[in-house]
Amino acid sequence: MDWFSHAENTKPLGLLIFFITFCLIVYWVYGSKKRSKILEDHKNIPFLDDDEVKDKSNG
Amino acid sequence: MFKNFKHEKIETNAGLLLVLTMFAVSIGGLVEIAPLFFIKDTMENVEGVRPYTPLESRGRDIYIREGCYTCHSQMIRPFRDEQLRYGHYSLAAESKYDHPFQWGSKRTGPDLARVGGKYSNEWHVQHLIKPTSVVPESVMPNYKWLQETQLDVSDVGDRLRALRVTGVPYSANADEYQRNVKQFGEATAKTLHIPDALNNLVNQAQAGNFDGDRSSVSEMDAVVAYLQVLGTMVDFNKIKPEDLVKFR
Amino acid sequence: MSATKVAAVEQYDYDIIKKFSVMAIVWAVVGMFAGVYIASELAWPFLNFDSPYLSFGRFRPVHTGAVIFGFGGSALFATSYYIVQRTCQTRLFAPGLATFTFWGWQAVIVLAALSYVTGFSQGREYAEMEWPIDLLILVVWVAYGAVFIGTLMQRKQPHIYVANWFYLSFILVTALLHTFNNIAIPVNLFSMKSYSLFSGAQDAMTQWWYGHNAVGFFLTAAFLGMMYYFVPKHAGRPVYSYRLSIVHFWALSFMYMWVGTHHLHWTALPDWASTLGATFSIMLLLPSWGGMINGIMTLSGAWDKLRTDPIMRFMIVALSFYGMSTFEGPLMSLKDVNALSHYTDWTVGHVHSGALGWVAMISFGSLYHMIPKLWNTQMYSVRLINAHFWLATIGTLLYITAMWISGISQGLMWRAFDDFGNLQYSFVESVAAMHPFYAMRAIGGMFFLTGMLLMAYNVFATIRQGVRAAESSQSRPAVAATA
Repeated sequence: MDWFSHAENTKPLGLLIFFITFCLIVYWVYGSKKRSKILEDHKNIPFLDDDEVKDKSNG
Repeated sequence: MFKNFKHEKIETNAGLLLVLTMFAVSIGGLVEIAPLFFIKDTMENVEGVRPYTPLESRGRDIYIREGCYTCHSQMIRPFRDEQLRYGHYSLAAESKYDHPFQWGSKRTGPDLARVGGKYSNEWHVQHLIKPTSVVPESVMPNYKWLQETQLDVSDVGDRLRALRVTGVPYSANADEYQRNVKQFGEATAKTLHIPDALNNLVNQAQAGNFDGDRSSVSEMDAVVAYLQVLGTMVDFNKIKPEDLVKFR
Repeated sequence: MSATKVAAVEQYDYDIIKKFSVMAIVWAVVGMFAGVYIASELAWPFLNFDSPYLSFGRFRPVHTGAVIFGFGGSALFATSYYIVQRTCQTRLFAPGLATFTFWGWQAVIVLAALSYVTGFSQGREYAEMEWPIDLLILVVWVAYGAVFIGTLMQRKQPHIYVANWFYLSFILVTALLHTFNNIAIPVNLFSMKSYSLFSGAQDAMTQWWYGHNAVGFFLTAAFLGMMYYFVPKHAGRPVYSYRLSIVHFWALSFMYMWVGTHHLHWTALPDWASTLGATFSIMLLLPSWGGMINGIMTLSGAWDKLRTDPIMRFMIVALSFYGMSTFEGPLMSLKDVNALSHYTDWTVGHVHSGALGWVAMISFGSLYHMIPKLWNTQMYSVRLINAHFWLATIGTLLYITAMWISGISQGLMWRAFDDFGNLQYSFVESVAAMHPFYAMRAIGGMFFLTGMLLMAYNVFATIRQGVRAAESSQSRPAVAATA
């Protein structure tokens, strides 16, 4: 615990936290084909909001 | 353990997304800011730095009101050219009573961290009223109203009391006064005593005669008093450079 | 036909978005005019007119406040309410509260500007508002967070689209930064004046933690949210890579918070803190460029749109400026470069390549896309959009070029020595040498402002045309019925 109170140790600490987090993120984003497929499907959400969809059901 | 972790949980749960984002953004600030409050080594222990007198403090208020920090810095960096142009590099201790700090970010005009004592009071008054009268190429606005406006002294006690709450050692009672006598010496301690703030302010303005008019206390008095104390508190002849290096 | 149109408009809560969009344009005109004015004051100081209310020091926060919080803030409120409804396929949560955020936010901008010119300032850059205004901001912001998060909670779409993540982090971080950077002790309950709780180095650290993250989350993350919705939507094709956008989001959120100390290189702040800031600034280049590439590549296969559609051009040029600024930023955070660039106009130029090139242009593109949809019409004139695009681009380039030259010359003149080891130039020689570039900067600003005026007219005419069309389509069935 004493190690954390030294200012000079924040650099390696920061680097460590950053790097591990980054690896975890990259792993779950690109780690599995199935997940990739699910994730990429979300990119179409902006096109599900069009008024025209509603128009057809109404008209 | 890790296999069970599903990103969809974050994506589909607004609360979780919120908490994780909060976590991600907090680390940086905590690691950098928190130590400054707990580590004693961030500041040199130099003699001479004292809180501003009531008049200087009011001058500082006006400095902030007019937005002087938008063009002038108060932070000399440890380079040879800045040393020659402005003086010894600024120490953290020199702004320890500055609420808020005024280090600035832009030098449209020169740094003012050690402007105190460089020019006479008359020069400052001339320069503030019409900068081009002493520096023809200057692009600084004229600050005539400082000379024409009486300094509002009605709440000077309240102002020092607010500063006292932030931790500046102005004294509100006899005990605190005695503590200041020990720390700063009697002459300075007297100027930091809140019950005498108004008297001290008027006395300093009249004794200093900053704006060349003893009959009243103008905003010019306060601003010039503030400018003249900037960077003069620490006597660098008494400090060895090697004592400061470890704080850089 | 008319019935379905009305139904289409009412599918989402547009009234509040319309209000914020109009005010975004009003504040853009006001704020950019103030900017051109203070830029001209530096080139031609007589413009200060010996007036306390117009002097540069008091007027500069009017400019920064009106463009960042007035224009930028209103544009963000408008687009976030638009995007969150459309990507969640639901109406706004608590519309009354949303209306409160509108009036509250406009009051903040007006009160802030009035308080600056009358001499109330906390003396902290981009956080000059005194404590009563800060409290109002806090209340408005909590209401905004409630509306936004409430809307997310009642969404009909299971997944939260990535644009909303960026807006969410912007709302959270702004609340955090605003609260901690404005802790102050008022002189008394009836006084506007207050003193910050922190002092010296701690205060500097807190302020620049705020200052840089205001850039990072207010002026970057939130506008990336705008980009992730409007660029795909306007191009009619999904974003290049959704996975990249996830990495972009987490990396950006995490890293931005570290970099504020690069504003304090070589100061009395401990060395390790500013080194840490510089390290993260350099790493930040990666997510920034990842985001830029993701935005630009969205257009791959439809590059011809750039030739025909000035709105698309606004968006892509905005992303290019984003890429340029996020390259320049890490460069300037290097200690050796910073030794030259800090305190000079180079910093001002860098800020404006981000503010004019990225923030303003992506907002223009988004507003041009959104406003016709809100009023159920077409933009009044595409030629005016095109003219606006060129004026804005030329204005930005003039501005940043002038500031590069003046910034680097200042830095070099200040550190120049003659043969005898004395300083070669007095300070005021550097001031005098800047005059032509200050004039050039003001002219660049005038170009940008002129473009903005064209936009204001174009939007006004568009709204008028939309309102008239709606009126006539409403009255027509009535006429038919009586006949």
